[in-house]
Amino acid sequence: MKNLLQDKVAIVTGAGKGLGEAVARAYAAQGAKLVVSDLDPAAARRVADALPGAIAVPCDVREPLEVEALVEAAVEAHGRLDIMVPNAGVASVVPLAQMSYAQWREVLSVNLDGVFLCIRYAAPAMIAAGGGAIVTMASITAQAAVPLIGHYAAAKAGVVSLTQTASVELRAHHIRVNAILPGFIDTDMVKPRKAEFEKMLGLPDFDALVVQKQGRYGTAEEVAKLAVFLASPRAAFSNGAVHVLDGGTRASLL
Amino acid sequence: MPELQGRKALITGAAQGIGLAIAELFVERGAQVMLADIDGPGAQRAADTLGPQARAVRCDVTSAADMQAAVDATVAAFGSLDTLVNNAGIEIVKPLFEQSEEEFDRLMAINVKGVFLGMKHALGALVASGRGSIVNMSSLAGVGGAPLFGSYCASKAAVIQLTRVAAVELRPTGLRINAVCPGFIGTAMVDRLVPTVEAAVGVPWDTLVALKQQRLGTVLEVAEMVAFLASDDASWTTGSHYVLDGGLSASLL
Repeated sequence: MKNLLQDKVAIVTGAGKGLGEAVARAYAAQGAKLVVSDLDPAAARRVADALPGAIAVPCDVREPLEVEALVEAAVEAHGRLDIMVPNAGVASVVPLAQMSYAQWREVLSVNLDGVFLCIRYAAPAMIAAGGGAIVTMASITAQAAVPLIGHYAAAKAGVVSLTQTASVELRAHHIRVNAILPGFIDTDMVKPRKAEFEKMLGLPDFDALVVQKQGRYGTAEEVAKLAVFLASPRAAFSNGAVHVLDGGTRASLL
Repeated sequence: MPELQGRKALITGAAQGIGLAIAELFVERGAQVMLADIDGPGAQRAADTLGPQARAVRCDVTSAADMQAAVDATVAAFGSLDTLVNNAGIEIVKPLFEQSEEEFDRLMAINVKGVFLGMKHALGALVASGRGSIVNMSSLAGVGGAPLFGSYCASKAAVIQLTRVAAVELRPTGLRINAVCPGFIGTAMVDRLVPTVEAAVGVPWDTLVALKQQRLGTVLEVAEMVAFLASDDASWTTGSHYVLDGGLSASLL
């Protein structure tokens, strides 16, 4: 154990399962005090119960008052806020020409509005604490298209932009803001929907395409290790940067 | 157990600056390190201060024979080679078309061909180790242009492209290859270019650094990123280039 985040207070949203859960566990393993947040109270509770000193705080990241309350709950429980990981996200699989406005808004409201609100309410608490680190979960779809998830990709590109602006606005307060851009991971929003992609794109085997592009699916634990590094003092000069983690997918045009 | 215990690394340009900082951090975390540098005595002095985990070899990275000899020396000293850091590089800071053909060729030979030769000659040993990783030193100058840095920018962009292609071609072997792109770091190289940059931009250096990235980065901060990418913590990271610049490139201003 490296104790890279010893006694740091961290909020992870969407931490009731998947990638968010992996980040919460990895942070706790490095000594952080967790605030495990999820739209699903039971899921948040299940993850928090397994982590020493962690609390569970249900939160709908689309709601400003709920995000504000989430930050207040962290400060009340642990005395301060040092790390925010706005990880909560949703997706659906639909071509732009058939996408309803409700489908667009659902993804944008969670994946982009939610990240704005997390930064908006975390920043003042971190300024009060004398500094902090925000690690956003974007995606390689912020940089290149994957058909059928245009709303998701647009939101993730927006997350990269928010990361950049926040990094420059907040650096005088010793708050670092960095983005992780994972490729396809085994718990993400894409793999469970591969049958939909195969049908709508006429692909014989989605997994085979993923393996050709990136060698294999990544794991949530591998993304979590990068999230630990970026939140830790070891990344003290990393700010406003995008960190692609994709097994080489973006490195190749083919 | 120290995090890099059992690692056997070859670092080029390791007699000073960022390369030396990487060597120091690797030794502190338990790795055995071969410090390669064109300044052989400088590399040896640095290795002596780092103790029994460190060795030194003189190496001109523009020479295939030297590069192969450095790889062979590492394997002979430590039994294997699992981590290569292609760090050696030089800068030219003057208007692009005031740079001579000879200056341009020399910079490309060290900064680009040196990385190519390093990867090419270490490849066999790295794959044989079963846990191989390469970290190439690019620069913020590899992702953006800057006046007076023309050939340097071109060379560092080339390092990113070599990193990408090598990463994808070698992915089936399990070898991971990534690049690091530091902004302005407190090194002798940066000290040398201060007067020229001040004259060209018309802004005092300290003001420029404060505006662009708040402060100079430290060689240790770059070394930490290299250590992360070289470690098993980055087991799915390949073909990437990670910028660390205090927010410089995130801002238009």
